[in-house]
Amino acid sequence: MLIDLSHIQRLYRSDEVETTALLDIELGIESGEFVAIMGPSGCGKSTLLNILGTIDRPTGGSYQFGGQELTALGEAALAAFRRENLGYVFQSFNLIDELTIEENIELALIYRRMPRAERRERVAHAMDHVGIAHRARHYPSQLSGGQQQRAAIARAIVGAPRLILADEPTGNLDTENGAQVMDILQRLNDEGATIVMVTHSPSHADLAKRRVDMLDGQIVISVRNAI
Amino acid sequence: MLATILKSVVRQIRRHPLYVGLNVFGLALGIGVFLTLALLVRYEYGFNAGLPDGDRLARVDAHWTLPGVAPGEYASSSFHALPFMLQDFPEIEAAVRLRGTGLRVVRDGAFVALDSYQTDPSFFRVFGLKLLHGVADRALAQPDGLVLSDRAAIRLFGTTDVMGRVVPLNRGGVTVNHVVTGVLASRTTPDFLSGVELLAPIPSSELGFSCFVSWGSDCGSVYLKLRRPGDIAALNARMRDFVIRHAAGADNDANAIGQHPEKVFGLSLMPLREARFRDFHVLYADDGVDRAVIDGIGLMGVLALALACANAVNLATARAGLRAREVAIRKTLGAARRVLFVQFMGEAMLLAACAGVLGLVLCEMLVPALASLTGEALAVRYGLVGGLLPLIVIVCGFASGVYPAMVLSGYRPAAVLAATRMPSGGRGAARLRDGLVAGQFGIAVTIVICMLVINHQTAFMRSADPGYTRAGLLIGSAMPGGDLAAQRRLLDALRTVPGVAAASFGELAPSPDNKTRSTYRYDGPAGPVRVHLLQDTVSTRYFDVYRPRLLAGRWFDAARGQDDLPLPAEQASHTVSAILNRVAVSRFGFASPDAAIGKGLDTDGLHARIIGVIDDVRFESPRQAIYPEIMFFDTLAKRPLMEPIPAVRFEGVVPSEMARRLNRAWVGVLPDAAGEFSAVDVKMAAYYTGDERRGRIFTLGAAAALLIACLGLYGLAAFAAARRMHEVGIRKTLGATGRQVVVLLLADFLRPVALACVLACPVAWMLMRRWLAGFDERIALTPAHFLIAVAGAFAIAILTVLGQTFHLARAEPARALRAE
Ligand SMILES: Nc1ncnc2c1ncn2[C@@H]1O[C@H](COP(=O)(O)OP(=O)(O)OP(=O)(O)O)[C@@H](O)[C@H]1O
Ligand SMILES: [Mg+2]
Repeated sequence: MLIDLSHIQRLYRSDEVETTALLDIELGIESGEFVAIMGPSGCGKSTLLNILGTIDRPTGGSYQFGGQELTALGEAALAAFRRENLGYVFQSFNLIDELTIEENIELALIYRRMPRAERRERVAHAMDHVGIAHRARHYPSQLSGGQQQRAAIARAIVGAPRLILADEPTGNLDTENGAQVMDILQRLNDEGATIVMVTHSPSHADLAKRRVDMLDGQIVISVRNAI
Repeated sequence: MLATILKSVVRQIRRHPLYVGLNVFGLALGIGVFLTLALLVRYEYGFNAGLPDGDRLARVDAHWTLPGVAPGEYASSSFHALPFMLQDFPEIEAAVRLRGTGLRVVRDGAFVALDSYQTDPSFFRVFGLKLLHGVADRALAQPDGLVLSDRAAIRLFGTTDVMGRVVPLNRGGVTVNHVVTGVLASRTTPDFLSGVELLAPIPSSELGFSCFVSWGSDCGSVYLKLRRPGDIAALNARMRDFVIRHAAGADNDANAIGQHPEKVFGLSLMPLREARFRDFHVLYADDGVDRAVIDGIGLMGVLALALACANAVNLATARAGLRAREVAIRKTLGAARRVLFVQFMGEAMLLAACAGVLGLVLCEMLVPALASLTGEALAVRYGLVGGLLPLIVIVCGFASGVYPAMVLSGYRPAAVLAATRMPSGGRGAARLRDGLVAGQFGIAVTIVICMLVINHQTAFMRSADPGYTRAGLLIGSAMPGGDLAAQRRLLDALRTVPGVAAASFGELAPSPDNKTRSTYRYDGPAGPVRVHLLQDTVSTRYFDVYRPRLLAGRWFDAARGQDDLPLPAEQASHTVSAILNRVAVSRFGFASPDAAIGKGLDTDGLHARIIGVIDDVRFESPRQAIYPEIMFFDTLAKRPLMEPIPAVRFEGVVPSEMARRLNRAWVGVLPDAAGEFSAVDVKMAAYYTGDERRGRIFTLGAAAALLIACLGLYGLAAFAAARRMHEVGIRKTLGATGRQVVVLLLADFLRPVALACVLACPVAWMLMRRWLAGFDERIALTPAHFLIAVAGAFAIAILTVLGQTFHLARAEPARALRAE
């Protein structure tokens, strides 16, 4: 078991109201799986992904990754964990405006100790992989939404992570671009990466190996797709 | 439109109180500092300008080119030249002699020292000063007349209504009654006569003094009022011929200069309007100020304003980014670019106007502080301020408004609305912001380095080894006349005062009034060498009192009869023992102090033999080069000293108590002459205060510049913190640790500061090297000055941005990504 979530809970406490974004999540994901998470807006999909990505901390429960308990780790250790194991594709791309596409992708490697030449090579490879090599020296604002999303995917995969988290990677794209992105993700999965993807599109969810449905912060159903 | 602008400004104040506050306060600070320093600069440039017909007034300066010393211009010249000038130059409308004196007013048995001068009845015709009481033409006509300044009258009598009152004046131990015949009205504009408290006629008994009859002697200054302003230059051109015609004198005239007087002596006219700055290079001129320093202070004011403007630009462009979306939406709804431009410009002007008012308030607060700091009669002059302020507001408003207004009104709405988050105004704006921060810190660091060097130098001047031991030393006032018995009695009396370790006389002392100089000849192997020497005669125990450093030979010995200076009549047949200072030894060309021992020197009717050499002793300004000096010895066995100055080394008593005891002892011996003992620091204070005061102005300027620069940096950091939250979230998601983010942000914030330091150091180095060159006694310009300033700038910059940086680096990635 690569990922083992048990009794994960996430409460948001503001002055007056208390929102329960996640309520007692139990989820196990094997290495090499491709999981699609679906559910209505506000049901906690992004929150769950953030917790999987350790950029948010659960208020209760345990999160084991490859047998290691992550909820007990400190800031620096979590940063190191993300650096080594994770690729993240955001719903809203989240590229840095001041950096070129190439530099944005390189950012995922910059925090590892890696020789510059190797970094360059990997970046070039990742860009080829998603088909935006010709846009390397452009700035994000000069790219279309689909191109930006592909750049974001390139950034997520450049470090060859064990786990790729994608939050509605096709949400802002047209059918064609969406299909291209799904194609890339499937290819990555075939090459051995574990993928967890949030999506509103049933057809895209059907391309995953497993589908998890959420409602009001809870997992209601988890089904394996027939291949 | 105005209503829209007002509404928008109010809304911005509510939404971004920090940015608006920093903007207005920074600008106000810059404006306040600028106005204050502008007033100071105007004060210096307007010195003497308030004198009626100031463009026709000039002082007669003497130029001496003497052997062994650098040629110099002197603010005082012989009174003997004046009658010849009046006779040769019909361009002279009026002339007056002015001589500073040690006149003291006797009040209830005590002496009151006033800044007093002896002068001619023509004083008022030349300078045109107004009298509160009395008639200008007659005020100084009668020999026992007396003119007081209004402040002196109040000090003495409590009122200015003092015409006809009797004032006993003491000079040189003799008291004469004078009658008040005029009271000077006070003036608002500064000039060299502002400090005058008392004017008295020149007594006929003193007209035989050498400075009245000899070309080579002086004891005061001559001022001329010409008929036309152009006459000053015209007369200057004719002065050389004038000197040749009159100063050579007949063959045996001891009062003349001799053959070819123009080779050693010259005269020139110093226009009073220009004297304030030119006097800096004139010897014996008290009011001279280094124009470069004043210009530096003015520049500092301009730079403070520029810094503040840069801040305003910075914060305004930053703020513009925050409003980009608003602008884009307005544009989509149909607002014309011109309308938006006018609106943003109007807002900038309105904020600048607020800053202007605040700046004026600040100026009102700063000016009195600066006046007490500089000792000058500074005041807020609304003529100047009223003219400058609107101009400043418009310039600042325009400068801070034009770029953001252009950027904002020029945004393409599509790009802004399509962007994932607020734009920063693009790379151009980012570079502009960094450049401005670098400029600000560059200026601030330059001023800080200058401030450090100036204050170090002024502190050094006070503490530098003067060649004698200052602590435990008290110097008395000059003892009038040459009464041998009285001199012996005073010395004996001083030596018995409890606490006194040693007492002696010298004709010179720290800050000397009277100096005797003459040319001495050494017949060396390579022919005769002539050096113009300052002459001092000292009494027994002088060595124990001052403790100079003996470099070679020996000190005078009372037991050896040949050391004692013979009576003038016997001098020709004697060899007189003399001691030289180090400078004199090198000017005569001796290889070392030891090489000078035993050598002979000659001057008119006197043959001296060098018995010792002492290290240079500094009695005068540290700006001035040490004059080559010769010392003689007088045991007071046969001949008196001329107006000797007592000095006392004491032990085990606090200086103030010691001075009190000595003053009492003095009165016991010489009840008619006031004697005042004071410490060397007090005597020499006048040499340092000018530089110390200006050092304080620089400290103030440096603080203001740093504060303004930090306000700017803080604003930018706050802005960046808001803008880069998102970026930090992304970086952390990609695995950056908090520490890496802190380092990244600090490096970004500090890059312009580092650039600033790189730029500032060479500039400051050049400025300070030039300034220090004006001192004979000066500190070396070391890397320490620069390192301290740079380290200080970095420390302050880091402190300024640290809060924002940590706040940013600690942000949880998930929340940071959501924040928008
Ligand atoms: N910082 C926060 N403070 C308070 N409540 C929050 C916060 N973040 C999320 N929530 C709440 O938690 C719940 C889950 O949010 P989440 O973003 O995970 O939804 P989602 O399933 O991703 O929705 P969508 O499909 O619209 O992206 C929502 O009700 C949201 O309002
Ligand atoms: Mg979501």
